[in-house]
Amino acid sequence: MRTEGFASSTRAFRGLGAFLWTEVLVQAHEELAMAASMLVQSVLLVFVYILAPALLGIAFVGAIIYSMFTMGNRVLNEAAYIRIDHKANDLYLAGPMSPESYFLGIATGILVVYVAPVIVLGALAAFVVHFTWAQGLLLLGLAATVWVFSASVGYVFSTFFRDNRAIWAYSSLFFNIFGVLPPVFYPFRLWPAALAPVALLMPPSAAAALAQASFGFTELSSGEVLLATAGLLAETVFFLLFAIYWARRTVREK
Amino acid sequence: MTELALSSEDLRKVYFSKGAPPTEALAGVALEVRRGERVALLGRNGAGKTTFLKIASTLLRPTSGRIQVFGYDVDRTPEKARPYIAVVPQEGKPFFHLSPREQVYTYLRARGLTRETARARTEEALEKMGLLECANRLSVTLSGGQRQRAMVATVIATEAPLLFLDEPTIGMDPFARRAVWESLRTLTRRGSTILLTTHYLDEAEALSDRLYIIERGRVLVSGTAEDLKRSVGGTVKVLLPGASSMIESFRSFGTCVDDGDALTVIVTPERLGELMDLAVRSKLLATVGPVTLEEAFLRVVGRSIDED
Ligand SMILES: Nc1ncnc2c1ncn2[C@@H]1O[C@H](COP(=O)(O)OP(=O)(O)OP(=O)(O)O)[C@@H](O)[C@H]1O
Ligand SMILES: [Mg+2]
Repeated sequence: MRTEGFASSTRAFRGLGAFLWTEVLVQAHEELAMAASMLVQSVLLVFVYILAPALLGIAFVGAIIYSMFTMGNRVLNEAAYIRIDHKANDLYLAGPMSPESYFLGIATGILVVYVAPVIVLGALAAFVVHFTWAQGLLLLGLAATVWVFSASVGYVFSTFFRDNRAIWAYSSLFFNIFGVLPPVFYPFRLWPAALAPVALLMPPSAAAALAQASFGFTELSSGEVLLATAGLLAETVFFLLFAIYWARRTVREK
Repeated sequence: MTELALSSEDLRKVYFSKGAPPTEALAGVALEVRRGERVALLGRNGAGKTTFLKIASTLLRPTSGRIQVFGYDVDRTPEKARPYIAVVPQEGKPFFHLSPREQVYTYLRARGLTRETARARTEEALEKMGLLECANRLSVTLSGGQRQRAMVATVIATEAPLLFLDEPTIGMDPFARRAVWESLRTLTRRGSTILLTTHYLDEAEALSDRLYIIERGRVLVSGTAEDLKRSVGGTVKVLLPGASSMIESFRSFGTCVDDGDALTVIVTPERLGELMDLAVRSKLLATVGPVTLEEAFLRVVGRSIDED
């Protein structure tokens, strides 16, 4: 029998390019949402500028990491919305495109569109913080890692909801608790010392602590650097692999 | 390779949801669709049509039973079946921020079709579904029926070997529905197989080679629309307004349905003359017409409800 298109299931990322492009087209219509994605960060930057201008550098680094972290929230909302309201998963997954491509298409489509304001933020940060190429690359790597983590968690979470209305409260709670409460926007040492390992094990604050240390804003012991790096990488790899597994598994409802 | 595009045996599905008793949506469905056939699944709301389609299209796990698509076990190796299928989901919608043209094209590309094929198929499908005028408008600005046309265009453009369409013509005007019928006929002529659900019985009759009526997760009857109509005991119906009180006199001719005012009698052509004589003698107006699939459906499903 004849099939056109992808006939076999050997390529894991079949359909990714086209679906990523689809998501970019879909997302790019939301100019207001793109601007609004910078809201919390901008407000905090303004507060810091007024209340503690000396901490502006830290706040900028935090704003970049927070921006990448909250992309997971968009992945959550988008994946749930197109599944519940549009039945896009039925359309795309009952076909040759792979479930991995479906998850990664949503995640990277959102990245491509929502990274634009983050680049603006990075450019502004360059006026406030003077960094070397190596520091810049490290920040980029940390931001990318936080994105992989949050997009994976966001996709997995999206599968638990049957109704869009329930999502908003949970997701904003989750992303604000992990993105604003721990030391992302403020110096790592202002976080209670006894709870330092907790902050170092939460990916957004771990990435922020490492960035703060690399810019000389904060001193970290080598043990703390190790804990933050190992924790960040391990959690990110784990959730990425889990999200891929979960994407395959949730093609079929129980 | 097998001549069957789809086959199921003793397929069962029980939904377990929190705080509610389990729902048996499929209670042992055996169904076969041969290659190149157009088959309609009919049944009341909640009969299990969508459940069957979702299991067959690898989107829902059955509780037990066997189901195969082109010989591949859908439950054990769903990934083998997926390249051969395409689905119009019930209540699906196109992406609101894509135009129908972008929607169809990007979908075909995501299924791995080449640029040239995707472009040509997109234009063909948009044309068939009467979407050319609004092909470049965002779907958010389209009417309900136009959105549904965009969904159908997306899926028929795949020309997949096996298409599942769950209420594909819902909300469409009579012209658009006929355009869908024509497109589906063209697809089966080109070798595709189609399983669809619909609540429009004229559609089922016009479109399908065979149909299955399911009720409470069980197949009640299957066959052609003609078989089904014959099974209700006649192919002619006589409508007798104001004859409700005379139901007993007409019972001997065949099935009588009394809607409180008019009496409908289903008869064989052989006994029609005799019945008309009685109607004339009783000074009744009579309208004679063919039995429709809708009447057969009401009879068959109604009888099954009465039995329970
Ligand atoms: N996710 C679910 N959880 C629990 N019960 C369900 C679920 N989905 C469907 N059901 C139940 O299973 C039965 C069959 O539903 P199904 O959607 O297959 O019906 P249908 O024939 O497609 O109906 P309709 O014509 O209204 O679309 C119904 O009783 C329905 O309430
Ligand atoms: Mg249904």
